[in-house]
Amino acid sequence: MVQTDNLIFHYKKKENHIFKFPDITLNEQENLLILGKSGIGKTTLLHLLAGLLNPVSGEVMIEGVAINTLSHWGLDKFRGQHIGLIFQKNYAVQSLNIVENLQARLFFSGKSVNNKTIDFFLEQLGLKDCKKSKANELSEGQLQRLGIAMAVIHGPKVILADEPTSSLDDENCEMVINLLIKQAKQTKANLIVITHDHRIKPLFSNSISL
Amino acid sequence: MKAKPLYTFLSVFILALSIALLFGIQQLETSLKYQMENNLGAIDLVIGAKGSPLQLVLSSVLHIDNPTGNILYEDAKKISKNPLIKTAVPIAYGDNYKGYRIVGTTDEFAALYHGKLKKGREPKKAMEVILGHTVAEQENLKIGDTLLSSHGLVENDIDLHSEHLTVVGIYQPTKKVIDRLIVTNLKSVWEVHHHHNNNEEDKKEEDHLQHHENLDEGEEISSLLVSFRSPLALLTLPKRINEHTNMQAALPKYELEKLYQYTGIGFKTISWIAYMILVISCLSIFISLYKMVKERAFDLALLRTYGASNFQLIRMVAYEGLTIGFLAFMLGLLLSKAGLYFLFKMVETQYKQNMLQELPYQQFLQTGALVSIMILISISLAIYPIIKMNISTILSHEK
Repeated sequence: MVQTDNLIFHYKKKENHIFKFPDITLNEQENLLILGKSGIGKTTLLHLLAGLLNPVSGEVMIEGVAINTLSHWGLDKFRGQHIGLIFQKNYAVQSLNIVENLQARLFFSGKSVNNKTIDFFLEQLGLKDCKKSKANELSEGQLQRLGIAMAVIHGPKVILADEPTSSLDDENCEMVINLLIKQAKQTKANLIVITHDHRIKPLFSNSISL
Repeated sequence: MKAKPLYTFLSVFILALSIALLFGIQQLETSLKYQMENNLGAIDLVIGAKGSPLQLVLSSVLHIDNPTGNILYEDAKKISKNPLIKTAVPIAYGDNYKGYRIVGTTDEFAALYHGKLKKGREPKKAMEVILGHTVAEQENLKIGDTLLSSHGLVENDIDLHSEHLTVVGIYQPTKKVIDRLIVTNLKSVWEVHHHHNNNEEDKKEEDHLQHHENLDEGEEISSLLVSFRSPLALLTLPKRINEHTNMQAALPKYELEKLYQYTGIGFKTISWIAYMILVISCLSIFISLYKMVKERAFDLALLRTYGASNFQLIRMVAYEGLTIGFLAFMLGLLLSKAGLYFLFKMVETQYKQNMLQELPYQQFLQTGALVSIMILISISLAIYPIIKMNISTILSHEK
């Protein structure tokens, strides 16, 4: 469950450039596509939802918790447990291999490090053959799938994806989104995708434009 | 750390070097100061032959240099009668046993150092000796053993006397110079040299001419160790002796203080160098950690989105710095101990004395704390960017 209320934000150095975001209300297992041109504040909204930024005013409620009222430490913990983030470019810790990255993900989110779970996700995402490869040795497509695994392995309540398809061709684009929707369904999470990529609009029943 | 083993090794080594220097120089200074202050005992004034006053003090008080020459026992006795003098202990040198100096003196000598007999008795006749604790221990000598002295103050095998000295007593350890002396009465020294002179006149003795050139003119001693009855004596006695007799009076406190000041400059210089290296090594730790934090800012931000707290990230980085610090501390201690050990081993064979003094606990703690604080400061400065990290900014910019 995700709910935002009168979210307003501006960056410190640009106080006259104010972002006002429409309210969002998502019930359990509802997904949302947020469309908008670049520069309109899509990533900012995503970071507000993830608690990486603090709104100037307004509120973000995730699973009934107003995340902006949490302490610094509490927010870190909450984010680790309940939110999965997928970035525009798919990042993982460079010096670790796939399995170690996933282990770290589970460790920091406070979940027990279960190698069966890791194997299950690697199987599903077709990463089993390169589980010992370092993040910087993977192809774009493999990294994308690792990014998804990193975002969902700990069973988050909200999956936030920032332009997950911008660097993909049509075929892979559809596959990645379908994969995300499937994973969200499996873990009963809300999936929020922000993008300027209109190709994926048909895949979502629920969308807003900024 | 695993990725840059050489750089890590360098950090550890530089830090260890500064720690070793700091501890080493402090221990050396402590040892020297202890030697100087402790061995003074109750000696206020040393009277001996004219020459360098520092040499007189070094030979008669610390027993590490050659005497300046001999004085007539008669003259010394005359001075001893001065009412300002509480005790006057004559000492006569001439021989050694395996490098340990044999001092001919009176029973009062041990009292200057609060030395007490552990076993045996005082010498009653000539050729009887009491051993200092170190001598007995190192040479494994017991009461009743006999030893052959050799001429001069430095160990040699060529110039042995033929008379046997008999051990009649052993002193308790005092941690003072008496531990490494062989004490006998004046007569023994005189007798040995009478004999020596008569039999071996043809031997060349340039180094120790002063000990035996004029035995016929009367009994001689190397110096007279004086303690005053009142500080008033300080004002009159040295001046009178220096001006009106052919002997000289030297104030050990003053001479050693002077010596200490000279060496103090060296200690200070080395200390400052050690502090500089400490600063540089902390700087190198700071730079390597800071660089790591900056280079891995992206990874660290990513870990934050995984739910890692600031504290966990700081711990990861601090762990690396602390490991370097800990390794360096251990290595530094080891280096200073090993360095001093070899240094003093060298001095020991030369002067037959163990002068190494443990650093006082408090000073050790102080220096340790200083080093730790410096390391902690450099780590704290390096992890500051983690605390100030803006995850959103780092993640929305490409690498």
